[in-house]
Amino acid sequence: MTFDWWTFGLQTVNVLILIWILGRFFWRPVAGMIEQRRRQAQDLLEQARRDKEAAARALAEAEERSDGFAAEREAILARARQEAVEAKRVLMEQAQAEAARARSAAAADLARRRQDSEQEWAAQAGRLAVTIAGRLAARLDGAAVRAAFLHWLIEKLGAQSEQTRQSLVTGGAVELISATPLDNSEQSRIGAALASALGAAPELAFLVDPALIAGLELRTPHFALSNSWRADLAEILAELSHDRRN
Amino acid sequence: MNSPLVTAPLFHLGPVPVSAPVVTASAIVACLSFGAFLASRRLRLVPGAFQAFIELLVESVDSQIRDTMRVEPAPYRAFIGSLFLFIFAANWSSLVPGVEPPTAHLETDAALAFLVFLAVIVFGVRVGGWRGYLATFAKPNLLLVPLNFVESLTRIFSLLVRLFGNVMSGVFVIGIVLSLAGLLVPIPLMALDLLTGAVQAYIFAVLAMVFIAEGLDLPPSDKLEKETS
Repeated sequence: MTFDWWTFGLQTVNVLILIWILGRFFWRPVAGMIEQRRRQAQDLLEQARRDKEAAARALAEAEERSDGFAAEREAILARARQEAVEAKRVLMEQAQAEAARARSAAAADLARRRQDSEQEWAAQAGRLAVTIAGRLAARLDGAAVRAAFLHWLIEKLGAQSEQTRQSLVTGGAVELISATPLDNSEQSRIGAALASALGAAPELAFLVDPALIAGLELRTPHFALSNSWRADLAEILAELSHDRRN
Repeated sequence: MNSPLVTAPLFHLGPVPVSAPVVTASAIVACLSFGAFLASRRLRLVPGAFQAFIELLVESVDSQIRDTMRVEPAPYRAFIGSLFLFIFAANWSSLVPGVEPPTAHLETDAALAFLVFLAVIVFGVRVGGWRGYLATFAKPNLLLVPLNFVESLTRIFSLLVRLFGNVMSGVFVIGIVLSLAGLLVPIPLMALDLLTGAVQAYIFAVLAMVFIAEGLDLPPSDKLEKETS
């Protein structure tokens, strides 16, 4: 058995060279690549963790904002409901006031219409009554009625002042109006009665006006003495109207 | 058949005799270096199949260093890994017809064992300084210093003999069987020899890690921290 020191030395150098070369060109680059990949994977994981945390924070913020929206929505709805209730109350009050005003206006209008209607009906009734009375009184036109009206005429002249009576005598023609034509005897009797009442005979002009219904009236340009059914009925109608107004 | 215990020079470079194991080892070194250059030339972040294979090799070496030495593998990766690759390639070089494994010669194994012996000292001094390295001889007891010192030599010698014995015996047996029996008879023995060569490469590397780790003056806590980091 021999031991070749040259071989030993050369093999030592061989292995040392191999260790250096592999260390320089194999182990270090490959391990560096593995380390680089590991570091990159860690960076990616760290970035993913940060992204996840950011996403979680964003989600929390979104949920918080959503809760805020819900609360704000509730507040807006509550405010809207309150405003609606208030508006409803105001509208109801306005409607009630408007209705009350309309009701009172309608009542007043109704009362006024009723009053007008009543007045109208009363007027019509008065006119109807006067018409009926006139027709009834027309059937009563006769000597007795004319005598009565002549009597009332003399009374009314007696109630006049002396100056008025004198003016009738001296004032010119006096129109004596009757409802029906008077015959001569009757005209004479009436002229005598007037002369007796006035102290002198006036200048009479006999006229006919059927509208008087019945009666005898005197009329001058400055004086008129009503004494007929028409005047009486007009006076009655005026009194009735006055009573209704009161 | 030549005796495996005799290393005859093939030629001389001046006064230097160059033997067949040196030529074979140089060829292995050249092939491994060229392969390493090719393998590391196009490294990508997204690895292909071949890059995945060499990264698996590197991570396996790192994992073995972590598990065996309980330290970070970077400072020891090149030495342990290159030692393993060289022995593995040398043992399997018998697949090439006419090539005898360099590890079947005592000088090559002695050179490898000598490098392990130097590595124990270099790494030990680098980590703990001379004082720290020498303090490792006093563990666990000062009385064991002579015994530890002797052990540091004998374990290197055992490393050398183990590798040499296993590889040389395989080659020797195959040679004898080949000379006595037919052409195909030694094939099972050659397959067994390949398995033995791979196992011996692994054992040599693991024992080198154990010896280097024993020379490191690291408290257990540091080792654990390094492990967890």
